[in-house]
Amino acid sequence: MNDVFRFKIAIQMIKNHWKTTIIITLLFMIMAVGYAGMFPAFEEAIIDMMDSEFYESFNFFPHADKMHTYVGFLTLELYTIFWLLILAIMLGFIAASSISTEIEGKTIDLLMSNPVSRKQIVIEKFVGLIPMFLVVNFGMMLAVMGITAALNESLDFGNLFLVHIISIPYFLAVLSLGILISVVIDEKMKSSIILILILVGMFVLNSLSLTTPDYNWLGSFSFSHYFDIYDLLELGEVDLVGISLFVAVTIICLVVSMIYFEHRDITIS
Amino acid sequence: MLQKQLMCPNCKNIITIEGKPGEKVYITCPRCNTKGFYSFTKKELLQKTTSNVIETKNLTKFYGKIKGIENLTFSVKKGEIFGFLGPNGAGKTTTIRTLLGYLKPTSGEAYILDKNISNYIVDIKRDVGYIPGDLNLYGHLTGSQFLDYFASLRNTEMVLLDNLLKVFDVPLDRKIKGYSKGMKQKLGIIQAFMDDPKIVIMDEPTSGLDPLLQQKFYDFLNDQKKKGRTMFFSSHVLSEVDKICDRIGIIRNGNLVALEDVDALKGKLGKMIRVKIKEKPEKFNGPENLKIKDGWIEFVTNDDIDYWIKMLSKYTILDLEINEFSLEDIFIHYYEGQT
Repeated sequence: MNDVFRFKIAIQMIKNHWKTTIIITLLFMIMAVGYAGMFPAFEEAIIDMMDSEFYESFNFFPHADKMHTYVGFLTLELYTIFWLLILAIMLGFIAASSISTEIEGKTIDLLMSNPVSRKQIVIEKFVGLIPMFLVVNFGMMLAVMGITAALNESLDFGNLFLVHIISIPYFLAVLSLGILISVVIDEKMKSSIILILILVGMFVLNSLSLTTPDYNWLGSFSFSHYFDIYDLLELGEVDLVGISLFVAVTIICLVVSMIYFEHRDITIS
Repeated sequence: MLQKQLMCPNCKNIITIEGKPGEKVYITCPRCNTKGFYSFTKKELLQKTTSNVIETKNLTKFYGKIKGIENLTFSVKKGEIFGFLGPNGAGKTTTIRTLLGYLKPTSGEAYILDKNISNYIVDIKRDVGYIPGDLNLYGHLTGSQFLDYFASLRNTEMVLLDNLLKVFDVPLDRKIKGYSKGMKQKLGIIQAFMDDPKIVIMDEPTSGLDPLLQQKFYDFLNDQKKKGRTMFFSSHVLSEVDKICDRIGIIRNGNLVALEDVDALKGKLGKMIRVKIKEKPEKFNGPENLKIKDGWIEFVTNDDIDYWIKMLSKYTILDLEINEFSLEDIFIHYYEGQT
């Protein structure tokens, strides 16, 4: 069994994706610097506009009433949309195609001609995506720290660090969901699109729950409901329920993926 | 309990029987009711445990309601090249992919190196190489990156790699995307054999190889055979099977219709006599299966060549051919004769 822990498939995943990793990391670093850098120019304008009518028109975002503060601005402009949604879509897209691309491209036959178990393939594909996420995650954190220091805005770096630590279980849940879809759906485009639909769907549900109090319960079906970046960034409040939920989703998705993949036929058409 | 597969001499149905060493088992063919018996000997017990490296028992795979393969029972002996024949869509690939654990058998079982494929498939793959029929490689890797990756997954010594690279040279530094079909096939062969596995299962491995390379490949297979390696080889190219295989199984519509030593199969079917006589062909008093084609008299005979030669001596012979059945004739026989 010592072969299982050599993670050769995972290492190959990292090799395959190193270019993408660098591009996504740079993209998010530039985005962080760009958005945060815009804040001083917009600050006064936002404060002027900051009446209840204005921020109610934004109330599908969590903590829209705080967008005139630096932390609120970061939360709204950068983290809620680009981090929790767009990055999740990007990483999820890659996860959702990780195994389906081998089945669709028929390379799975050769891969499985080696002494590797199907469970091992699922786990290693998942593990192989983690370094990619970690590079983006801490690259972005450094960029936010850098621009904040340059702008001389007030931001608790300890809390910022917490955001990026708690991002880990959030994105592991996204990646594992992608893996699950990847073992079920054989066509990589289809599996990636299904994952994107789920992520966007969850985002919409959360927005709906914020605008209409009657539909508050809808938010509980959304990942981002359990990851309150403003509370974390401003107050350092950690949502332990949220973290446990992300960990649980990750474990459940991986276990179901392994069981499903173990028992399915690998058909080539 | 011992198992033995027999072919009904009448209808060519494959019958699997069981018995103890030394036991005499009476058999009735379920298809045509021909009766017979078989005596198990103790010697076969020894042979069974030492020589069969692949064994299937009633291996069946249905895709939902669609039949892939049904009740396949056969065995492949250590050190032989086993040819698995059948036209496209007969179930060759399904058999191979079920044997290798890609598809879960609907019923029946299979053993490779005495290990059940359902429980020990990962372990089995340490000793088994595979060339898929629909070979797809990682296009974004170079040849050497691909071989390094697979060598790291096998985690054993790549004893044959250098030798293989000499015989089947491929542009190792180029991305596989840019390979021709033949180059890809060569790389497929290299990866299957590079760690010198005990068994290599190949699904139409010579497709895409030019005749020169095919010959090199056959020579290589024969060398492997001499070392005691076993090769399972599916094909629909009969001439190559004829050239290199020791035994063949013929599959039709998902069922095994023949399982035999190549030479024995030919012997059993007899010889084809073609003769041209000066007299009118119709005057020749031949057997029932006689056909006249373009002035040639054609008929098949089993073991009475002497009789027919003596018969023919009464005529004026212009030309005479006595041929063994080619595998192609056998193949057509199984496909036409049993529909």
